[in-house]
Amino acid sequence: MNSSTDNNGLMKRFSGNILSYRESLFHAMDDALSINPHVVIMGQGVADHKGLFGTTLNLSSKYGTDRVFETPLAEEAMAGIALGASLNGLYPINTHLRVDFALCCMNQIVNLIAKYKYMSGGRFECPMLIRMVIGRSWGQGAQHSQSLQSFFSHVPGLMVLMPSRADSILNDYPYIINSYRGPVISIEHRLLYDVKFNIEQDSEYSSDKPLSSHLIRKGNDITIVATSIMVLEALRAAQYLLKNAGIECEVIDLNCVSHPDKEMIMNSVNKTGKLIIADTSWQAYGVCAEVCRIVCENSPNSLKAPVMTLGMQPATCPTAKTLEDYFYPNLQTLTDAIARIVCGKANHGIPLPDEHSMSDVYKKFKGPF
Amino acid sequence: MKFDNLYEELFYKSLRIRLIEKKIIELYPTDKIQSPVHLSIGQEAVAVGVCQELKTTDLIFPNYRGHAYYLARGGNLKEFFAEIYGKRTGCCRGKGGSMHLAGPEIGFMGASAIVASTIPHAVGAAMAARKLKKDQIIIAVFGDGATDEGVYHESLNFASLHKLPVIFVCENNDLAVHTHTSTRQAYKIFEHAAVYGLPTHYCEEGYDIIKVHEAFSPLVAEARITKLPQYIEIKTCRYLEHVGVNEDYDAGYRSVSEIEEWKRKDPLIIEKELIDKYQTTILAEIEDAVMFAENSPWPLLEDLLTDVI
Repeated sequence: MNSSTDNNGLMKRFSGNILSYRESLFHAMDDALSINPHVVIMGQGVADHKGLFGTTLNLSSKYGTDRVFETPLAEEAMAGIALGASLNGLYPINTHLRVDFALCCMNQIVNLIAKYKYMSGGRFECPMLIRMVIGRSWGQGAQHSQSLQSFFSHVPGLMVLMPSRADSILNDYPYIINSYRGPVISIEHRLLYDVKFNIEQDSEYSSDKPLSSHLIRKGNDITIVATSIMVLEALRAAQYLLKNAGIECEVIDLNCVSHPDKEMIMNSVNKTGKLIIADTSWQAYGVCAEVCRIVCENSPNSLKAPVMTLGMQPATCPTAKTLEDYFYPNLQTLTDAIARIVCGKANHGIPLPDEHSMSDVYKKFKGPF
Repeated sequence: MKFDNLYEELFYKSLRIRLIEKKIIELYPTDKIQSPVHLSIGQEAVAVGVCQELKTTDLIFPNYRGHAYYLARGGNLKEFFAEIYGKRTGCCRGKGGSMHLAGPEIGFMGASAIVASTIPHAVGAAMAARKLKKDQIIIAVFGDGATDEGVYHESLNFASLHKLPVIFVCENNDLAVHTHTSTRQAYKIFEHAAVYGLPTHYCEEGYDIIKVHEAFSPLVAEARITKLPQYIEIKTCRYLEHVGVNEDYDAGYRSVSEIEEWKRKDPLIIEKELIDKYQTTILAEIEDAVMFAENSPWPLLEDLLTDVI
C-alpha cells in the first residue's frame, strides 16, 4: 500500500447513513479486498452460503476463491499459515466463528505471532488481522460464549480490539489492514451484528486516533469504562439515570483493550471520583482488574468511592435461559450499581428499569449461532 | 573461496559448521554464552546438502536446532556469535539467541523453540509465493519429533490440497529429546507423509554430503519447474545431548554402538587430509567472529521495550 491510502474512506462513504455492525464488517472486508491486492480472508465459513454471518457473503465469488477461501478445521496450522503468508507479503485476515475455537491456535498466537517481531530484534513483522466472534444468548453454553480478551491482551506483542459499534469498525479496520504493521486481534460481538448505528463523520469514532479508546458521553457524576456490548448497556443506563435520577454518567468505550487510553481514563476518574467498569468477561484478572490497576497506580486518591465491576459470573456459561440471565450483567444490574456508587448506599431509592435479559432487548437474535 | 570440486565445497561448508559449534563447546564453560544451545553436530551434512542449490530469494523455516542452517545459508558469522553472546550486534540484536536466529537477508525466516511451530509458516509463505507469483521455493525443516504434533499433519494436508511450492525436510535423528521414535510413533514418517498425496523421498545416508545433495537437488530442480509440494525424510544422527554441549551416552537412552557406527562413516571425522587443508582458515575466521562478539556492546535498557508491537 502506498502512503496515500485514505483510511477514512469508509467513514466518509457511509457518513449520514444507518449501518448495522454486520454491514460495517461486510463493507470493511469488501473494501480491504478491493483496495489492497495483498489481502486474503481465510477461515471456516467465509466462503459458504452464510459468509461468516454475512460479513464475507459472496466476496469469494467477487474476488475469487484464491483470496477468500474456506480452510480445513485446523486452527493452529491456519494461524501459522497466516503468519508465514504475512512474512512473505500477504495481508491475511484469519477468522474464527467463535472466540472459543481460537483456543486451538493459542500456540501460534501467543508463542509465535505475538513474539515474531521481538525475538527477531525487529527484523520481521507480521501484520495480520484475526477476527473472533463472541457468542451470547439463545443457549450458546460453555464453549460458544467465552470472551477472552484478557488472555490475548496479557501477552506483549498483540493489539486487541473490541469494536462496540459500526463506526468503530469503519474507523479502525481500514487503518489496521492498510497501515498498521503488527498483528491485531479483533473480538466482535455476535449480539451486536444486527444492531444499527448512525454513522457520523464528525463523531468521536471518526477521530484521527485509530486503535484507541473513545470518550463517548460526558458527565460529572461517575465514569463508566465499558467494552463491546457493555458500551451499549452503559449508554442505555446513562440515559435512564439522567432521565430518572438526574445522574450524569461519563462513558468511555475502551475499544482497544490491550492498549487503552490511560490518560483518558485518569482524566475522567479525576473529574468524577467514581468508577464502574462493565466488561463482557469474567472480572478476575481481566479488563476490570486492569482498569483498576491503571487507576490505583496513577491516582488512587482520585477515588471517592470503592470501584465496582460488572462482568460474567465466576462460572462456566450455562445453557438454560434462566441461568444465563443470572450469568450476565444487564441494564438493571448496571443501573443499580451506578446508583449505589453515586448515592453512596445500597438503598438508593432510584427505581430500576425492569428489563432483565439483553436477549429480551436484542430480540432479533434467534440463533442457531 | 574457490573449490576444486563440489565435494570439497560441501565438505568445507560442513566442516565450518562443525568447527563453529565446537567453538561453542569450548566457550560454554566460560559462561559467556548464557542461553540453551541445541547443537547440530552430526547433522551438518543434511543442512549443507539441503541449502546448496537454494537461491537467496528462497526461504527456509528452521527450528531451534538451527545453527547449521543459518550458517549453510550464508548467515553472517560475526552476527551469529554476537547473537549467542547476547550482544546488541547480533542478528536479532540480542533478543533471540541461539534458539531464535533470524536472517531475512539470507531467507532464514526465524527459528522457534516450539517443536513443529514453523512448519505452517513455511506453508503460509508458500501460499504467498504462489498468490503473489514469486519465483521462490520454500523449505520447512523439522525433526522426527515434529511429526508427532498435530500442526505438522494439518500443514501437510493444506500444502498438498493447495499444491503449494514447499519442500518438507524431516531430519530424522530418531530422538525427541531422549525418547526414541519407536516409543512415540505408530507410523513410518515418509510413508505416512505420502498419505497426504505428497511425492515422498527418503535418504538413509544423512552423514554423506554428496548423497544428501544428490537426493535433494533434484527436488529443488523439480520445484522450480512444477512449484508443487514435495517431501523428504533424511536419516541423521545427533551426537550430543538434546540441549547443551556434552555427550550423554551414559544416560542409557540410546546405544553407543549406533553412534559409533555413524561416526565411522562421518567425513568430518575420517577425512583427515581435507580437515587439515581447511581448518586453519576456518579457525581464523571463527576467532575473528568470537572477538567481534566479545568486543560488541550489550543491549541497553532503551532496547528492552523496542520492537514489542
